[in-house]
Amino acid sequence: MSDPTSPPGPKSVQDGPPEPDPRAADLQEEADRLQAEMEEARPPHGGPISQVAAALVALAVGVFGAVGSYALGLGRLTQPGPGLWPFAISVVIVVLSVVLLLTGRHLRDTERFSRSSLQTAAGVLSLVGLAVLLPVIGFEIPSLLLMFVWLRLLGKESWRSSIVISFGAVAAFYVLFVLLLQIPLPRLV
Amino acid sequence: MDISPILEGFGVVLEPANLLYCLIGVIIGMLIGVLPGLGPGATIAILLPITYSIEPVSAIIMLAGIFYGAQYGGTITSVLLRLPGEASSVVTVFDGFAMAKQGRAGTALGIAAIGSFIGGTVSIIGLTLVAPVVAGFALDFGPPEYAALGILGVLLISSVGNGNKLKAIIAAGIGLLIATVGRDTFTGAERFTFGSLNLAEGIDFIPIAMGLFGLSEILYNLEERHNRVHAPAKVGNVWPSRGDLRQSGGAIGRGSVIGFVLGVLPGGGAVLSSLAAYAFEKRRAKRPERFGQGAVEGVAAPETANNAAATSSFIPLLTLGIPANATMALMFGALLIQGIQPGPQLVTEHPDVFWGVINSMYIGNILLLIMSIPMVGLFVRILRVRPAIMAPITVLITLLGAYTVRNQVYDIFLVIAFGVLGYLMKKFGFEPGPLVLAFVLGSMIESSARQGLLILGGDPVGFLTRPISGTVFALIVVVLLWPLIRGALRRKTSHRVEEKISS
Amino acid sequence: MTILVGYLPTPEGEAAVDAGLREGALRGERVIIVNSPRRGAPVDERKIDDAAGAELLRRARESGVDAELRQPLHDDDLAETFETLVEETGASLIVIGLRHRSLVGKFIMGSEAQRILMESTIPVLTVKAAL
Repeated sequence: MSDPTSPPGPKSVQDGPPEPDPRAADLQEEADRLQAEMEEARPPHGGPISQVAAALVALAVGVFGAVGSYALGLGRLTQPGPGLWPFAISVVIVVLSVVLLLTGRHLRDTERFSRSSLQTAAGVLSLVGLAVLLPVIGFEIPSLLLMFVWLRLLGKESWRSSIVISFGAVAAFYVLFVLLLQIPLPRLV
Repeated sequence: MDISPILEGFGVVLEPANLLYCLIGVIIGMLIGVLPGLGPGATIAILLPITYSIEPVSAIIMLAGIFYGAQYGGTITSVLLRLPGEASSVVTVFDGFAMAKQGRAGTALGIAAIGSFIGGTVSIIGLTLVAPVVAGFALDFGPPEYAALGILGVLLISSVGNGNKLKAIIAAGIGLLIATVGRDTFTGAERFTFGSLNLAEGIDFIPIAMGLFGLSEILYNLEERHNRVHAPAKVGNVWPSRGDLRQSGGAIGRGSVIGFVLGVLPGGGAVLSSLAAYAFEKRRAKRPERFGQGAVEGVAAPETANNAAATSSFIPLLTLGIPANATMALMFGALLIQGIQPGPQLVTEHPDVFWGVINSMYIGNILLLIMSIPMVGLFVRILRVRPAIMAPITVLITLLGAYTVRNQVYDIFLVIAFGVLGYLMKKFGFEPGPLVLAFVLGSMIESSARQGLLILGGDPVGFLTRPISGTVFALIVVVLLWPLIRGALRRKTSHRVEEKISS
Repeated sequence: MTILVGYLPTPEGEAAVDAGLREGALRGERVIIVNSPRRGAPVDERKIDDAAGAELLRRARESGVDAELRQPLHDDDLAETFETLVEETGASLIVIGLRHRSLVGKFIMGSEAQRILMESTIPVLTVKAAL
């Protein structure tokens, strides 16, 4: 979801004095309210700890990039080395992360992890499982398992419809990828 | 102006295969736009592997179809359910949903379709006229100009986008850093490869886009968010009455112009223009209090404008090679995959692509109009599909699709890794869009900057003294300082309001 | 005491409401009309809108029954949703409509009515649509 209110939109198309239009402000408010309503479904925000953690991770990436690119050699401006450009970016990341660390404690745009985040974790695990099994036993069985896990465990579909939809979808994939498009997917046989 | 390439472009579009791809794109776009959860960006990302195996022109025509099809799909949910599928349909909700409550949902959707068609068409005509001129102007640009433009593009998208600007720019920085992974083209040195052969080739655009835009969205939606179920809405008559048309005619005309102009600006062109068009209509209306109560202009203006803007946002991509938003970054990537470098040379070197894409939009808009009005009922039915059933199917398409690009399991792991990264970014308030965009522009900016340094004899001040790159850098400074400027302006106006109240 | 009536906008659902209201008037008990849509999809054709809900309550008032409409979401567990409501309200009877299903249809889709019948701890009255 994006925030339609951030740029001072209406002003740029109106001629006349750049006085803010009270109605335009109303509109922004209305858009804000709608946005807030849509955000309701979001879990509660994560608080200062997650903000600090996010900034620290960004900082770590920046420091890592700076050290790594310094090792590559910066060269001179007349003859830039391979590390100059990544070093410049890393420095920007470091500076901005520090600013974020200092000023961003009270932002409310992070989301707390909840029990349902475990669903996402389980989903990711199943994806990794597919990637590991794919070259070993072909795509059919891993795909079937993935479909079933997502439908039954993550989607809370009934046993019956999980089985029926899994088989149907994998059969459709087989027809589409293997028979029609003849893509060389690893196969069972 | 020589119009023969334009006509040849129509020849390209009217080939049956391309017409078919256009149709497929528009249908997919509309379907996905209706379904909550996956945005047009995610859809285009997931379907990127397909573009690998088809002609460049057809690929871009299909992706463009998805893009503007999705714009209209989002309108359907805004009007019927008060759920804007796309950010650019948020303002449509005010009057669209009010009309639906009065039993005029069909009229709202019909007007939106007609407005979208007119706005889109006006914008394409503008695109046809303006794009070659801009491209011609940009032909004189050297590396310093491109470096400056690239940086400006990244900054604008980071700062005009949603959410925290600081986080967006950090994300963009990380995208630039990821773009440096692999062998340096100037010195041959391996950067951040950790001895891995896979990484030495650099990281491919497809897995990044599929992971950050596609998979991350699916993972994010796994944490149940859709806890509201609506009763089916009645659409009613879709054909607007002559009175409705007369009433919204002006709004459609003005919306087209606003959309075209604002769409060219990098950042949220479609979002910004829909908001601006709505505000403009409300301001000049004789009875502004009608807005929000089901005024047909309140639907016509933003819907026309967002479609016009979606179309004109192709201008910076096709003429300067600078994507104006995250979706355009995907188009950029898709063109690069095909070995086509978007930029001012495009119109001369690949006129079939340039004009094929532009002219396909005429056809796409006609298809959109033909399909949307009679098929609204069908699209409304799609809303009954449970995301729990769609999710594993999309995931499988994503992972198997990623594999098919190079037949390497490594690519599946990359998609998963970037999917997790995107998910975590969203959880921590970072938008993946700037990262992807910066990644796409990264190598261009770096090589232009380095070539620029060579041209200028290692003197970075030269970037500022060349007239065009200097201007662009001045703009960069303005963009960077904009939050401060705006803050100052706000403070001033709020003072003024207080004075008014107290006096 | 209360009576729970399972309602969907179908002939079977109408029959269930008719029977439930009759039963409520007879026993002098309160009726809770349960219109439970499936969680997940943005739109469920089984969910009724506010106008239709008001109409149901008007019908209840006409039959002189004190009625209430509830629209809880369910996953793959409509029977459990009913069981929770039974515990919460101390209901004495569930009224649901039954429709004819082919064997294959029943195998693929399952039968929610059957599960309610088997899992319910209180008497269940099933009705068929008026012919």
